Amino acid sequence: MSTRAGAEVLVEGVSKSFGQVSSLREVSMGAAAGEAVAITGRSGSGKSTLLALIGGLEQPDTGQVKIDGRAVWTEPRPARARRELVGFVFQRHLLLGALSARANVEVPLVGAGMHRSERRRRALSLLDEVGLADRADHLPSELSGGESQRVAVARALANEPRLLLADEPTGALDSHTSERVLDLLFRLRDHLGMTLLIVSYDPSVGARADRTLTLIDGRIEAPQADLCPR
Amino acid sequence: MLAIITTNLLRRSARTLFTALGIAVGVATIVALLSFTQGLKETAAGFVHLGGSELGVFQANVSDPTASLLPESLVGRLDARPEVAQATPLLLIVEGVKAESSAIVFGADPAGFFTHNLVLTGGRRPLAGGREVLVGDRLAAQLHLLPGALLLIEGHSYRVAGIYHAGILFEDSGAVLALTQAQQLTGRPAEVTDIVVQLSPGTRAKSAARSIERVFPGTQAITDPQQALRAGANSTLISKAILVIVMIALIVGAISVANTMAMSIMERQGEIALLSTVGWSPARVASLIFGEGVAVSVLGAGVGLLLGVIGGGLLVGALGVSTYVSPSVTAWGLGRGLLVGVAIGVLGGIYPAWRVTRMTPLKALSST
Repeated sequence: MSTRAGAEVLVEGVSKSFGQVSSLREVSMGAAAGEAVAITGRSGSGKSTLLALIGGLEQPDTGQVKIDGRAVWTEPRPARARRELVGFVFQRHLLLGALSARANVEVPLVGAGMHRSERRRRALSLLDEVGLADRADHLPSELSGGESQRVAVARALANEPRLLLADEPTGALDSHTSERVLDLLFRLRDHLGMTLLIVSYDPSVGARADRTLTLIDGRIEAPQADLCPR
Repeated sequence: MLAIITTNLLRRSARTLFTALGIAVGVATIVALLSFTQGLKETAAGFVHLGGSELGVFQANVSDPTASLLPESLVGRLDARPEVAQATPLLLIVEGVKAESSAIVFGADPAGFFTHNLVLTGGRRPLAGGREVLVGDRLAAQLHLLPGALLLIEGHSYRVAGIYHAGILFEDSGAVLALTQAQQLTGRPAEVTDIVVQLSPGTRAKSAARSIERVFPGTQAITDPQQALRAGANSTLISKAILVIVMIALIVGAISVANTMAMSIMERQGEIALLSTVGWSPARVASLIFGEGVAVSVLGAGVGLLLGVIGGGLLVGALGVSTYVSPSVTAWGLGRGLLVGVAIGVLGGIYPAWRVTRMTPLKALSST
């Protein structure tokens, strides 16, 4: 697995509503290349929406989101921009049940049109990176919750993203397994140099991150200095 | 991509199987009907060339050529035409033999070329004025008839004078009676079903047919099997009914595939959203869904082709026409079945694939 410089994230005056419900209101924040930022807040405060907007899964109603100066949503080919810049880890691992761990890691590479042998080599290398080389041929149903989430992390890293977005990645895990997954995420951040934005209720995540932002009712509550990268 | 399509279809094997079976039934119906009509065409070829004739003159605009009625006096006028070498009348009695309802009894002039061309394999020719009949070798074998045996025609018994072979399915599966006796039996004196014609040397069948139709209004001269099929309203009806069935199979099949794939998409929103988040373009995700629809259809079409070949034989048996019609499976018939199967997948896959391109990953993820 090669190292790539992290991406710089800039969010400026972003608002997003779903019908009558206002999810984000005039949110501005940033993250420096390689920084790890924890985003906390109560359920419904807009954390996941913020992450989805940063990752280009949704278009903001107002404001703009840029990753290394690129607005993913307005790129001519958003899927390609997402593939080149961003990796996602969700609360649920969302592994494809009929595919082996290795094949699941290969899925993003299929989307990238990579050759089969190269896909296989990279997937095995990533599984090795997350400590699951010996489980490569196992189906998700044969893996524990923690193992499945580690496969999901490997999948998120398949396209060598410069920004890793993790949406409550330990929300469905017990405390011991959560610690292991968090260890893995922060170790990979240190090792690969990517920027990490992690949404979590877990206070220990904030302690590990370089900075913590708190969302309350769609607004970021933090000292002005904390809104920008250090 | 192919591996993922295969895995997805195998993961929901029962659904895949039932969808494919639905398509298979549609394709099988089409293949069976096409093989039946092809068999019908081949049979019609024999009907056109009865007794080794080159064309047959029938009454125009009848529901079926066997329902044709012409005045016997037309034979002499036809015979006098320069393009005609010989003309001989035939009166067809359909379902006259109760023991084998598909056998046709031909009332034929004993002096005409139709009767002369029959090759006797047993017995002798009927005596003039006797209640005797010639029986085709296929019918004789079916009913275990030998010369001297009795055959009931329209409730009257006739002695089998001889057994013949003509090399034409209709004739070999039927019997030949003197024309006058056939006319008495049916209560149609001086009427015939058709007049079969042998042309003068060097005469082209098509031009002779045109000339005969022009000189004798109200008649149609049939020279080829396709024309025979077109000539009968029943045959036209069959061809149109098959077209309708093909269209219905296509529409029902496409709706079925679209419905199954749309349901599958609803269940797999999370999976599809995930593909988007990991950088699959909407076109690539759509092609995955589209590919699954086409793959199910190809599978169904494959099974359908096999069932259709078997079904063609069953259809002919069920209709009780196996004596005359042998289902004939052609490469083009199979190709059309396969084409319909693939078209079902393509048409049925378009809507679900389009829907996928409209899904936003965040909405799909939040609903999982």
